[in-house]
Formats: sequence, structure tokens, C-alpha cells
Amino acid sequence: MRTQITSSATVMSSDAVKKRKPKVIRSEAGAPETKRGRAEGDQDVRVYNEEVELEVRDPQQDYMLYKDTCAALAKLMEEIQELKAGGAKVQSVEIEERRTQCSVHFITLKKLNRLAHMRLKKGRDQTHEAKQRVDVLHLQLQNLLYEVMHLQKEIGKCLEFRSQHEEIELVSEEEFFQEAPAEISRPHVTRDDQHQLTLARLDWELEQRKRLAEQYKMSLARKEKIQKAIEQKREYLSSLQPGLQNIMQASLPVQEYLAIPFEHMQKQAEVARHLPPPLYVLLVQAGAYGQACDKNLSVSISGDVDEAKALSRPPEDSQDDESDSDAEEEQQNTKRRRATLGVQLDDKRKEMLRRHPLSLCVDLKCKDGSVLHLFFYYLMNLNILTVKTKVSTTTDLSGAVSAGELLNSESLLNCLYASDHGKETPNPANRYQFDKVGITTFGDYVSDLGHPFVWVQKLGGLQFSSGGAQSGLTGSALSASHMERTMKLLRGRLQARLALHKQFSSLEHSIIPVSSECQHLFPAKVVSGLVRWTTMSCQEFTELGFVQHVLKAGLVHETDLFFMATVERGTARLRAAVVMNPRYPEVAPLFSLSLHWKGERSGRTDDNLQAMESEVNVFRSELQGPRPGLQLLTNQIQRLCVCLDVYLETESQVCDGSEGPKEFPREKMCLRTARGPSRLKPFKYNHPQGFFSHR
Amino acid sequence: MSVFSQSFSPCGRFLAAGNNYGEIALFSLSAALSPDASEGSQKPILNFTAHDGPVFSLLSTDTHLLSAGNGEISAWSWAELIKKVSQLFSKCMCIFLGLGKMYISFHCCDNSLIVGGGDNNIHIMDMETGIFKSVLKGHTDYIHCLCFKEREEEILSGGEDGAVRIWDSRTNRPVHCIEVFKYEECARPQFGKWISCLATDSDWMLCGGGPSLSLWHLRSMSPTSVFPLPGCQREAVFHQDLIMSVGEGPYVSHCLHGGTVKAQIPCTPSSLNTLALNLKNTEHRVMTVGGSSHQIDVFTNFSYRAFSLSF
Repeated sequence: MRTQITSSATVMSSDAVKKRKPKVIRSEAGAPETKRGRAEGDQDVRVYNEEVELEVRDPQQDYMLYKDTCAALAKLMEEIQELKAGGAKVQSVEIEERRTQCSVHFITLKKLNRLAHMRLKKGRDQTHEAKQRVDVLHLQLQNLLYEVMHLQKEIGKCLEFRSQHEEIELVSEEEFFQEAPAEISRPHVTRDDQHQLTLARLDWELEQRKRLAEQYKMSLARKEKIQKAIEQKREYLSSLQPGLQNIMQASLPVQEYLAIPFEHMQKQAEVARHLPPPLYVLLVQAGAYGQACDKNLSVSISGDVDEAKALSRPPEDSQDDESDSDAEEEQQNTKRRRATLGVQLDDKRKEMLRRHPLSLCVDLKCKDGSVLHLFFYYLMNLNILTVKTKVSTTTDLSGAVSAGELLNSESLLNCLYASDHGKETPNPANRYQFDKVGITTFGDYVSDLGHPFVWVQKLGGLQFSSGGAQSGLTGSALSASHMERTMKLLRGRLQARLALHKQFSSLEHSIIPVSSECQHLFPAKVVSGLVRWTTMSCQEFTELGFVQHVLKAGLVHETDLFFMATVERGTARLRAAVVMNPRYPEVAPLFSLSLHWKGERSGRTDDNLQAMESEVNVFRSELQGPRPGLQLLTNQIQRLCVCLDVYLETESQVCDGSEGPKEFPREKMCLRTARGPSRLKPFKYNHPQGFFSHR
Repeated sequence: MSVFSQSFSPCGRFLAAGNNYGEIALFSLSAALSPDASEGSQKPILNFTAHDGPVFSLLSTDTHLLSAGNGEISAWSWAELIKKVSQLFSKCMCIFLGLGKMYISFHCCDNSLIVGGGDNNIHIMDMETGIFKSVLKGHTDYIHCLCFKEREEEILSGGEDGAVRIWDSRTNRPVHCIEVFKYEECARPQFGKWISCLATDSDWMLCGGGPSLSLWHLRSMSPTSVFPLPGCQREAVFHQDLIMSVGEGPYVSHCLHGGTVKAQIPCTPSSLNTLALNLKNTEHRVMTVGGSSHQIDVFTNFSYRAFSLSF
């Protein structure tokens, strides 16, 4: 562009020159412009080209000429001045001459000016051109440099280029050469040329992959087919299920008829899977014991299976539910008043004492048809088992007022093993849990939740460290080792209580039931008779005066049962306070006597009454009766009556000096009526002979 | 439980007591009387069943402990007993001494054992050979207590029939017979006529039981003083110038020869059967009483009860 501009400039300048030219030329010749434009060749002849002149003339000379001209002009001016001053007329010849010379000088000056300008312009133009050329070259240089850089970058990029083909795992070269067919591997070419080798390998890879893709598609298709086949078979099977169910249902009556409770056992096994571990151990062991040793023991599961299943569901669901419900609760709480601290604590307590929804029911049947039902529960957070009892009998047990406590489910299983009260939880960890929710004793909840006896824990395989000796067994082994003994004790307990119940009802009617096997212990005729048999509370017992020695010896516990028997003959009245341990008849009842006859005497003050007490308390093994020893109590009472007879009849008459017939004539046969320094009476009855002697 | 008899060991450091269940318990007096005695030292160091009837009498010779049960007399070696071995040394079945379960009391002097039993007779047995040498007949009911006067070598016996008979041990013949219940000062018909305790001190004799406890002068055969003790006395001893007796009532009575009751020391059992004084050992000079309780009271100072041994 610059060249264009300069060329237009030169054209313009030449035009300008040519425009001025006409002035000069007009003054000389006056050729029109158009003519000039047309006839370039002519112009060379006609046109006055100053530019050519410019090259010829020397600038220095021009400069000198300028100076001279200026000086001449100045001189002329001066001359004119002088002339004018001299009073010459403006139109004088000298002035006119000089004016023309001045004009010529002016024209020279103008020319010089023009030449100077033209030189300047030329110089400028030249510089401009040179600059332009330099610029062009510079630009080229820049372009080239730019391109060099670009190329360098490209080279760099090319060098760094990681072609995708490098990521493809190719088989090794040896394998490739071995496996690939010749047209692909072209060893003659590829062995030398790395590039070709790589290409060949890629080709091979591609071909292999295509082949494998084909295989894959085929396998997929096959799989689909097989899947369909499986689906069909599954449908078929599931259609069978209802049919089988029907068959099972139909077979139930057959099972019952044949007495093979197959389905029942299956159902039980199914439910048993949801039992917590201790109950499961108990179920298995009790079932095993029942099958093997004791046909009269049966176990069943009761309770809500769905709830149990809900408990064993994974906790994520419940956590989500909890968080949702928490959010809801909080919203509700902000609307209502917040629940009081007590209610929150109550809820926490309820949560801690929660029972597992499933429970076991163990039934022990006795020969006479009465059944002891034991319901076992598992408290989940406390990890203990509890038991509740129920007794069902074939006959109606009523009429014995004093027997009210005997079959009371609260106290029926008290002290099955010595000192196993079942009022406190045997798990020591529960203490800390209770502290958190403010439960002081577990005893408050026992009537609701059942008794946590230690033997119950052992049957469930739970072993808690207590003060006593450890047995090193756990789980099923522990349960099995205790099962037989516990079941025997339970049955014995039930039978003892039922026997006592019967005995009490006849004792209350003042009849002492002595069975035929025990008749030999007593003489045929017993005059003293039982008049009253009542039950007492622990409080009433401790208030009696003649039992203090028993209390002091520590033989009375809160779990014991207390009774009062009154035996009378004539004016004599014998009161016997009986302490019965719940483990009757293993632990014999303890009698304390007080006689009211001509004054009050007790075992502490009267040696003979003490001897009577020892007859029933110490020599009780004679009174046990046939094997389970359930007649102990009644035999003891009968013996008391016999001893009272002996006591009264052998009492020497002359205590207060009164004369007259004895109140109690001697009917018993005694060898000696008083022996030894303490004048003891003969209380021992010898059987076939029928006389009384001392021990 | 009633404790019927007591006896101290020859060395005086041990006490043997017999109860109505036929058990004999051995207590260590040195342990119980030592300054650092605890509750455990008041329990027997050895307890074994000697007979199947009550042990009414215990007697210590120099080497052996003799115990009387139902128709049998057993001898135990003290040396073995102290080592806590209750091995029977020898047993003598006195079957003829009554129909099985009778009351036996004995006394021993110069190697012969005087046994009074339920067959109303007194038998004298040679301890070395075990043969019964002689029989003294005279009582009409079983014999409660026996006593021996060393100086005159006379045997005194008291029985259920209310008579105190005096026999000459050399000739084995009866010398005197006192029927205490016939004397009005002593007789207490409301209790009976049986004599259950006898004690002699040279010329004096104590007897009591059904009749009141009375002090007799043997030369004149008459009661000099009668002690106004309410119950029947079961054992009485002379000690220095006091008479100590136990019986019905929970106390030990200290009486003077004149007939006054000086003191009645209370005890734990409600009535007492036996009283024993340990005079052989000066260190453990105690009096022990036992009765119708399992506790045997020990008196270090005879005026008050110190502690009780527990049978």
C-alpha cells in the first residue's frame, strides 16, 4: 500500500507539477492537460520535467544560488528603495526594471523553493521507500520467525504425541509372529521396519478383537436363551407351591392320626429361628431332655413372630425410620409442650425392660394330671431370662384357707435351689443400666416381668459371675448339666405343694391325714387332737415370745411360710409355731412349742417340751414316710399329739398339792416315766410292742 | 440339746462334754482362755458321736476318758483325743446293766470302776481286765449318782427310790441306808423322792434331788442344814468352804455350810445338769456348767460368768 500511496503521491506531485506547469507552460505554450495525458511520448518532448532537472542540479549550488538570489533581491530592493526614496516614480523604468528583475529573482526563488521542496519530497520518498522495503523485509522476517516458532511447537507436539495405539495392549512380538497369519505380519517387511511392525501388530489386534466381539455376541445370545429357559422353569416351580401347600394341609389330619407331629415340629423349628439365643438353647435342651428322659415334658413357642422378625431386620431401615420419626417428633414437640422429664425417664425404663416378643412355654405333667406351666421370657436389653408360673390341676383346689400361699405363682418357685430368691437380677451389668434410668431394684418389676432365678439363667446357658464357684461351662453344656436336676426339682416342688394343699385342707378340718404306710410310727389311740391350723405372716411370727431362739439362730427367712397349729387335750393347750422353708420337704419344717396348762411353759423353760421339740425337729428322718417324703408335716403333727399325750399322762400329780383323780389317766405303757437328772419323759414309741421308752 | 456330763483332761487343758444326742465334744481350755481368744476358740476342737443314746456320765482317769451310753461304757485315750483322733480304745458292753437304754453312772478308785445302772445294782469292774468283780444289790430303782469316800473306802449311792446307801468297798456289803424323803426337813413330796446328786467331804455329805439339797453329818446320820433352793438340784460339790450346786433354774447357787444361800450366779442355760471344777491345773482353774442348752458357761472367777463355750 505504501508503494501505492507513494505512487499516487508522485502522480499527484507530478500532477501538481503539471498543474503548475500549465502556468508556466501557458505562459510559454499553454497545452491542455488532456493532451498531456494522451500523448506520453509526446510529453517527453514538450513537457518540462523538473524532476529530471532535479537529479541534475546540485543542492549545494542551488543553495548558493538561493543565497545569491536573496542577496540580489535584497540589493534590488535596496535599489528600489533608494530609487523610491529618491523620489522616483513608481512607474519609472529603473524601478520597473528592477521590479522585473525582482520578479525574476522571485521566480528563481520560487523555483528554488520548488526544487527544495521537490528534493525534500524526493528524499522523503526515498527514505520512505527504503523504510518500506525494510518494513517488508522486517515483516517477512517476523513471519518467518513466527512460522519457525509455530513449526517448532508443532514439532514439539508431534514429538510428544502419544498415539492411542500405544494404549492398546498388544501381544508380544514373538507371539505376534507366531500367531498372526503371514499376510498381516509380513515379516519380511516388519522385521526391519518398526513402523510397519507396529502397524501390522495393530492390524492383528484389530482382527482378533473383531473375532472376539463376534464370539461375545454369540455368547450373549446363548445366555439370553438360557435365561429365558430358567425363567420358564421357575414359573413352573412356583406354580407348584400352592399345590404342595394344599397337600400339606390335607395331610394334617393324617399326621395327627398317626401321632407324628411332623409339620408342627417344622413350624416350631421355623419360628425357633427367630428366638433369641438363650431361649433357643433352652428350647433345644428342654426338647432334647423331654424326648430322651421325660415323656411328660413338652415345650412350645408362643408370641408374635412378626415382631421378632422385625427385630432382626437390618438396622439401616430402622435408622432411616428413626431419623424421619425424630424429625417428625421434633416438629410436633415444638408445637406441643415438651414431655416432662419423668415421662421420658419412664419411656427409657420401659425400653430397658422390654421383653422379646417370643416366649417359651414348658409344661410339666405329673402323674395325677396336674400340670405346671412355666413361661420363659427374655429381656433383651438386660440379657436375662425370667420365668412365670401357672398351675393347672385336674381337681378343684379350694377350701384350704391356709394353703393360699402354696400355689401362688409369685412364690411357687421361691428358693428352688437354696437362696435363689429371684428378686434381683443375676446379671451384674444390669446395675449400671439401672442407674442410668433410675431403677433402684428389679424387685418392683418382678411381678410384671417374671422372676429372674439363677437356675433359669443356667437353663438358658447364661452364666453370670457371682460370688460362688464357676463351672466353666457355657451355653448348651451349662444348660444340659442343669436340666435334669432342675426339672426334677420343679416336679418335686409341684408335687410337694399339691400334697401340702391337700393336707392343709384336711388339717383345717382338724383331721391329721396319716397314711397307712406311716401308721406304724404312732400308737393306735391318740387322744390329743389338732383343733386349729392357721397361717401366719412373718411379722406375727417374729412377735411370738417362744420363737426367739429360732430367730436368733438365723433359721428364719422372709421367703419362709409360717403356720400355727393348736393341739388340745382337756385343759391343756399346746401351740406349735411352724417355720416352713419353701424347699419342703428337703428342708424340714421347724417347730417351736408352747404349752398352756397350769401355767405357761415353753421349750426354753421346760426340759420336756424341749425334748418334744427335738422329737419332731431332730428325729424327723423317721417321719419322712414313703419316698418323696411328702408326709413329713402331717407325721410331725401326729407325733406332737402323741408326745403331748405322754407328757400329760406321765405328769406327776402332786404339783400343787391338790388331791383327787388325775386329769389325764395313764393309758400309755411306759417303762419308766422319768429318767435322768432332767426327768425326761419317754417320748419314743416302739412299734409292735406299743410301749414308750426313752431314747 | 442338753449337756449332761463333763470331764477335764488329766493335764487340765481340755474339757470333754457329753450331750443327749450321744456326742462328745472336746474343747481346748488353753485356747479359750488365752488373751487372743476368738469366737472360733469357743467351738469344740473335736466333736464325735460316742453312743447312740445320751452320754450321761463322763469320767477321766490318768490316761483315759470313760463315757457311758446306752448300756455300754467306752474308753477313749486322752492322748489320741488331744490329737483330734476319736478312735475308740475299748468298749465294754454292759448288757446286763439294764434293758438297753438305761442310765449309767460311775466312779473310779484304785483301778476299779464302780458302775451303777438301770438294773438297780452297783457293779464293780476291774479296769485292767474288764471283769466285773462284784455286785452290790440293795436299791429298788435305778441309781442316779455314786460317790466315794477315800478315807473309809466307802461307796455312797443315791437312787430313784429316794435312798442313799453306803457300802463298804472292801467287803462289798451295805453299811447304811438313808431314806432322805422320810425326813421332814428335806422332803418335798411335790417333786418326788429321787436323789440325783451326792457329794462327800470327809464326814459331810450333800444330797439332793426331789428332796431339798441338804448337808448331812455322816457320823450322826442326820441332816444339819437344808438349803432353801427352789428347784431340784442335779449336781453339788464341795469347794473350799462353799457348796456349789446346780439344778433347775438358770443359776449356780453358792451356799454356806450353815444353810444359807450366799449367791446365785446367773447362767445361760435355763436349767443346769452338770458342774465341773478344774482343780488339777492352776493355770486354767475354771468352773464349767452345762445344762439344757448348747452353751457351756465358763467361770474363771467363780462369782460371775466369763464366757460360754458352744457345743
